[in-house]
Amino acid sequence: MILVGIAVTVLGFLISLLSLGMTSSVSGRLLMVLVGLAVSLAGIIGLINRAYLKNPVWKR
Amino acid sequence: MKRSLILVATLLAITAGVFGQAPATAQPPAAATAKPITDADLKSPEMPKAEVRAKGDPDGSLTGTAADVAVADTKKGLTIGDLINQAGQNKIAINFVWTLVTGYLVMFMQLGFALLETGLARAKNANHTMMMNVAVYAIGMLAYWMIGFALQMGGVGAIANLGGTPPLSAEYAFNLFGKPFGLFGQNGFFLMQHGTNDVAVMVLFLFQMVFMDTAATIPTGAAVERWKFSAFAISSFVFAAFIYPLYANWAWGGGWLSNLGANFGLGKGYVDFAGSGVVHAVGGLSALAIAMVLGPRIGKFTRQGKPQAILAHDLVLVLTGCLILAFGWFGFNPGSTLGASGSGNLRIGAIAANTMLASAGGMLSAMLYMWTVYGKPDASMTGNGFLAGLVAITAPCAFVNPLGAVIIGLIAGVLVCLSVAFFERIMKIDDPVGAVSVHGVCGIWGVISVGLLADGKSNFAGAWNGVNGSVTGLFYGDPSQLVAQLIGVSTLIGVVFSASLVLYLVVDLFVGQRASAKSELSGLDLPEMGALAYPELDLTSRGVEV
Repeated sequence: MILVGIAVTVLGFLISLLSLGMTSSVSGRLLMVLVGLAVSLAGIIGLINRAYLKNPVWKR
Repeated sequence: MKRSLILVATLLAITAGVFGQAPATAQPPAAATAKPITDADLKSPEMPKAEVRAKGDPDGSLTGTAADVAVADTKKGLTIGDLINQAGQNKIAINFVWTLVTGYLVMFMQLGFALLETGLARAKNANHTMMMNVAVYAIGMLAYWMIGFALQMGGVGAIANLGGTPPLSAEYAFNLFGKPFGLFGQNGFFLMQHGTNDVAVMVLFLFQMVFMDTAATIPTGAAVERWKFSAFAISSFVFAAFIYPLYANWAWGGGWLSNLGANFGLGKGYVDFAGSGVVHAVGGLSALAIAMVLGPRIGKFTRQGKPQAILAHDLVLVLTGCLILAFGWFGFNPGSTLGASGSGNLRIGAIAANTMLASAGGMLSAMLYMWTVYGKPDASMTGNGFLAGLVAITAPCAFVNPLGAVIIGLIAGVLVCLSVAFFERIMKIDDPVGAVSVHGVCGIWGVISVGLLADGKSNFAGAWNGVNGSVTGLFYGDPSQLVAQLIGVSTLIGVVFSASLVLYLVVDLFVGQRASAKSELSGLDLPEMGALAYPELDLTSRGVEV
């Protein structure tokens, strides 16, 4: 799950990067970068952190 | 003679500029009849006589004369060429001294971090926490000297404020979307390769090294009281050699982020004047990664997952550390001009004022927030608000006006309070000093604030990152600058955080990142470091008279 989370986090960056080649409009790029940021945050908060919270030290 | 004519032409141009707005009835400029200065005019300059000088110079009016100008050819004596060379060397000397002294101030911040983190830890971990902050200086510096500096700055090109740095001229780049994407520098390994044993390169190395070390010391704050010392040492070495330098290259070393303006028309490219992103967000996101890998301290959360306060052992150390950091920040931000003399460098006055204004805004809003919400002006969060304002203003300090600086600081102060609660209560992450919130979250806010509040009034030789004009944010008319900043943020979160997490996981696999539960419960001072920071406390608690 952690590795999937890392992959999703990197994917968010790639979406932002792709905005440079896919469009030249400022608003189009802004939209893509915001989507990329949301994907990266979902990877960190929704996948990586959740994986660590499955067996935390305080429940052991 | 040619030089004399150039000199006279320059004088004429300056005089014309000065008198350009004079009333139409004014006399013609006197310079029109001025005689060209020649070497002959310099043969017998007025200087104090030897017997006068022998009596001393209590008021300083006799020291520093034409005799002190370096002469290239003693047979010819003083020439206009000598004067021009001396003027050039004086400019570079001023900039060298400025950059070195501000670099020393940044090095002093290491003490601030050490006191802050040690004060927030429990007494039984004081030696271990202090040692991490001290050791990271040596570990990080050598890694950066061997590898990191070259990767970061090896292709930066000429830095005019330091007299040009021609040996740093090799950037590795590949083509993407039809444009070159600079990835890392290739000159300067060990400061010996390709002519990098050079005075200007040494000044740049010292300044950049202390910045890297600031970033490298941030993760130790989030890992306090449970990070195995050997794992810390290996992780810090790799961080200083690769993770920090790569992002710093992209933003400062001529890499792809800095060229988003020149290559893709996004404002002036990614702009991060002194490192809200490069230093603080990189350190803060790396701190988030190590905090996740380590997990919380024993006793930080109840079995139901409810956070418990683990009290700091010395708030005096904490607030002293904050004040030392704020003092050091006057090196961090104004020093990032890399010079006090030259185009736009007098902006250091505005940069210093913006830095202190934002810190006041951050401290005040955090203090008022805690006072209003929790009933007391919490000392550690007031200190964190102080630092949050400083972290946030680090990227925009050269590009915003004083009102913008205060706004940035005020927002950072509240943001850090909300962020600490979010990471602790929602994400269940144990960050004993608030490093993720102060440096990570407020660093990102600082980067974004450039894209919003840069007022287009700065002028560093008329361009930034190779794009003509001043850095201008969304609220002053350029939305594309905000896009460049957000791409920088996306890179921080998507690449820097992920790379840090992979690093810490790999070290965890081979060495183990977390100290044993037994060591943690007894405090890391004895099991990890072999000595207690406060042996009297331990002996007293056992009933031994000391």
